[in-house]
Amino acid sequence: MSLQPVIVGGGPAGMAAAIELARHGVRCTLLEEASRLGGVVYRGPLRDNVQLDYLGPRYSEVLAKLHGEFHEQSGLIDVRLNHRVVGAEATRALVVLDVNEHLQEVQYPQLLLAAGCHERSVPFPGWTLPGVILLGGLQLQIKSGVVQPQGPVVITGTGPLLPLVACQLHASGVSVAGVYEACAFGKIARESLALLNKPQLFLDGLSMLAYLKLHGIPMHYGWGVVEAQGGEELKSVTVAPYSSTWEPDLSRAERIAAQTLAVGYGFIPRTQLSQQMGLDHGFSDDGYLRASANVWQQSSEPHVHLAGDMGGIRGGEAAMLAGRIAAVSILLQRDVLDAELARVRRDRYLSKLKSIVRFRAAVDRYTERGAGQTALPVADTVICRCEHATRADIDRALEQGVQDLASLKMRTRVSMGDCQGRMCVGYCTDRLREATGRQDVGWLRPRFPVDPIPFSAFQSVGTEAASHE
Amino acid sequence: MSKFYDVIIAGGGVIGASCAYQLSKRKHLKVALIDAKRPGNATRASAGGLWAIGESVGLGCGVIFFRMMSANRKREAQGAAVAVDSSTPHILPQSFFDLALQSNAMYPDLHRELQDNHGMDFKFEKTGLKFVIYDDEDRLYAEHIVACIPHLADQVRWLDQAALREAEPSVSHEARGALEFLCDHQVSPFRLADAYTEGARQNGVDLYFNTNVTGVLHHGSQVTGVQTSEAGVFRCDTLINAAGAWAADLSEHATGIRIPVKPVKGQILLTERMPKILRGCLTTSDCYVAQKDNGEILIGSTTEDKGFDVTTTYPEISGLVQGAVRCIPALADINLKRCWAGLRPGSPDELPILGPMKGVQGYLNACGHFRTGILTSAITGVVLDKLVNNEPLPLDITPFLADRFEVAPEVEPKEAQMA
Repeated sequence: MSLQPVIVGGGPAGMAAAIELARHGVRCTLLEEASRLGGVVYRGPLRDNVQLDYLGPRYSEVLAKLHGEFHEQSGLIDVRLNHRVVGAEATRALVVLDVNEHLQEVQYPQLLLAAGCHERSVPFPGWTLPGVILLGGLQLQIKSGVVQPQGPVVITGTGPLLPLVACQLHASGVSVAGVYEACAFGKIARESLALLNKPQLFLDGLSMLAYLKLHGIPMHYGWGVVEAQGGEELKSVTVAPYSSTWEPDLSRAERIAAQTLAVGYGFIPRTQLSQQMGLDHGFSDDGYLRASANVWQQSSEPHVHLAGDMGGIRGGEAAMLAGRIAAVSILLQRDVLDAELARVRRDRYLSKLKSIVRFRAAVDRYTERGAGQTALPVADTVICRCEHATRADIDRALEQGVQDLASLKMRTRVSMGDCQGRMCVGYCTDRLREATGRQDVGWLRPRFPVDPIPFSAFQSVGTEAASHE
Repeated sequence: MSKFYDVIIAGGGVIGASCAYQLSKRKHLKVALIDAKRPGNATRASAGGLWAIGESVGLGCGVIFFRMMSANRKREAQGAAVAVDSSTPHILPQSFFDLALQSNAMYPDLHRELQDNHGMDFKFEKTGLKFVIYDDEDRLYAEHIVACIPHLADQVRWLDQAALREAEPSVSHEARGALEFLCDHQVSPFRLADAYTEGARQNGVDLYFNTNVTGVLHHGSQVTGVQTSEAGVFRCDTLINAAGAWAADLSEHATGIRIPVKPVKGQILLTERMPKILRGCLTTSDCYVAQKDNGEILIGSTTEDKGFDVTTTYPEISGLVQGAVRCIPALADINLKRCWAGLRPGSPDELPILGPMKGVQGYLNACGHFRTGILTSAITGVVLDKLVNNEPLPLDITPFLADRFEVAPEVEPKEAQMA
């Protein structure tokens, strides 16, 4: 049994926690599913020695700082890249698929889960066409410095990522046909004061808008996606003004030529592992499940910690602070820090975290999802891409009296595919809430393995099978 | 304000849904189906085998149960775990064969009926069930089975090695042959439950989902209704207990007696979708393997006494993987998509618990279906419908009455004290 703490997720939260532990002389194991550290936000270019100037100087600075500090401490961090955590045996051990596609059990005295989030899919007619991609995925492409999306690009969604990606795309030489923010400008303006909790971020936002204006990229407020058209590839996108509840006004719809449509209507915490462990969860205001943590970033099982977006969407900077707090808690649990020292250290991180939380709350308020978007799909629009369940299938099940997610799954096969509902859970729960008027319509029970794994991954298979001879 | 129904069915799994469907065909009855899905409910977890002979002779799900039972017995007798002696098959009594075979025979018609009248397809497939024979021990076991069921000789076929390879090319060449049960088939279990439920709804049954029954109302020895936590009081003439693994609680509320139904955990594996590589269902001495209508291959299942725990556990999953790959070597290269666990409503003698109980009126059991609830749901619905309507039953249910269980005699403390 490994006596060192284990961190799941090599994004900003996991890296910051590993750095904090190492600075106190505590060695840890860091499991990361990707081939590089940094997570979605700070993964950096795929090739070394590539300068990605178009991502902006502030981003490059934070990226360099995080990776630099990590590198300084790397002697005390056992990094396991290409290791996917595919399951949890309660809060005793993790089941990990290693780089050779073999399963291992990894036990831990203390654990930090920093699994991040995934993007919320919004189904609409044409959303499964090639060329329609999620905004975060698109940003990851340009951050990797390898692939560039085909222009012209139309960006639809809500939140500060929209103008950021538009600027980054334009700076990298891709043409941007327009940015369509679902929320009305007035709603954002009302939050200016709260947004000033992070003056630098607020200024960044303003300078991004100035950049877009300078380069003639139209930024539309209170507009959103309606439909995508094309065959083998995307040809055009229909957008329309959104009401305050995000109902599109089709009489004013416009069709724009586009090769790529980026869709960014928010994120969902990745709770598959925390659910399998049986930790306490709650629902956020927008209806998503998230794992609950206390001021020490401890879950309902004190030796299991949570940090980053899996406990609620707050972004990279907050993730690093939460990761450090979790590390301080682990140091306290291991008697490396005494209670007083740990508390002082925690409070220092906590006060920084608070201003981000206030900033995020303002963003959450203006990006609050409107219910009207569930009207976008037509009868034959596929909702569950794995099992090809359509809107008509879901409508029929609701008419037949289905009232919870598990029953909807059985009736329509939504979420029974490889992704276990990651893509359709948002739409399905929204529809159930609409139909039942209840806030809690259940959630999908994530099964082992979180991602499909080959049978041959069970190492005992080979040896045991041979012994039958 | 309380609601009145002629019949209330507590439990919306495949058994409760089948009862609701059969009762719903009587236009004069007002019926309510009350259900709260809890983690581990067996219908959703089930494999969907209609293995009438297979399960009656202790194969399919039963083979692992039998191995566990005999291992336990030997452990108790000898104080250590020893290899299981598989020479004596675990054959259920004739009454169960009758119930299982009668129920099994109903599926082709039921399939047509639910599809034609209600637009619900529960994916009935004629598959047969082959017991794959690897070694002498397996062969001996199969021969014993055949010797025990001479009256079913026309439903049994031996396949030698060549015939098995011809019939199921994906099965390991290590296998020496198979014993096939011709009348054993499969359905999609949750689609079956949904088909019954939707048929019942279309026929006018009121569905109360996400509703927990918390108590039973009485007038003297007559059950008069139920209390729920979400939808208030329901009054009724008859209460049907179809509460699956949770049936003991409800029987205690209704009758003061806990019927001996206990959750028996089973873990199941499911692969990604595959082209059709299996023609029929398979059972080995390690596991069963069934390719479902959409190409996924289902592998089951463990038999565990873990209370209401429904976590999946690595050693048990690994064991099933091993058994499945031994049977179908090609599985080594494909993906495991999902695992889950369900709670079979187990009874001590493995027989369901059906019908009335002594000393209580207005209460009927439809529970304890253990590992064959999907298979026996069809006949259970019919039997319960006839019981409610005081009509002749299609078979004698005496062997299935709850009263067959001796209420465990109280330990006589006085004697103990005197000794």
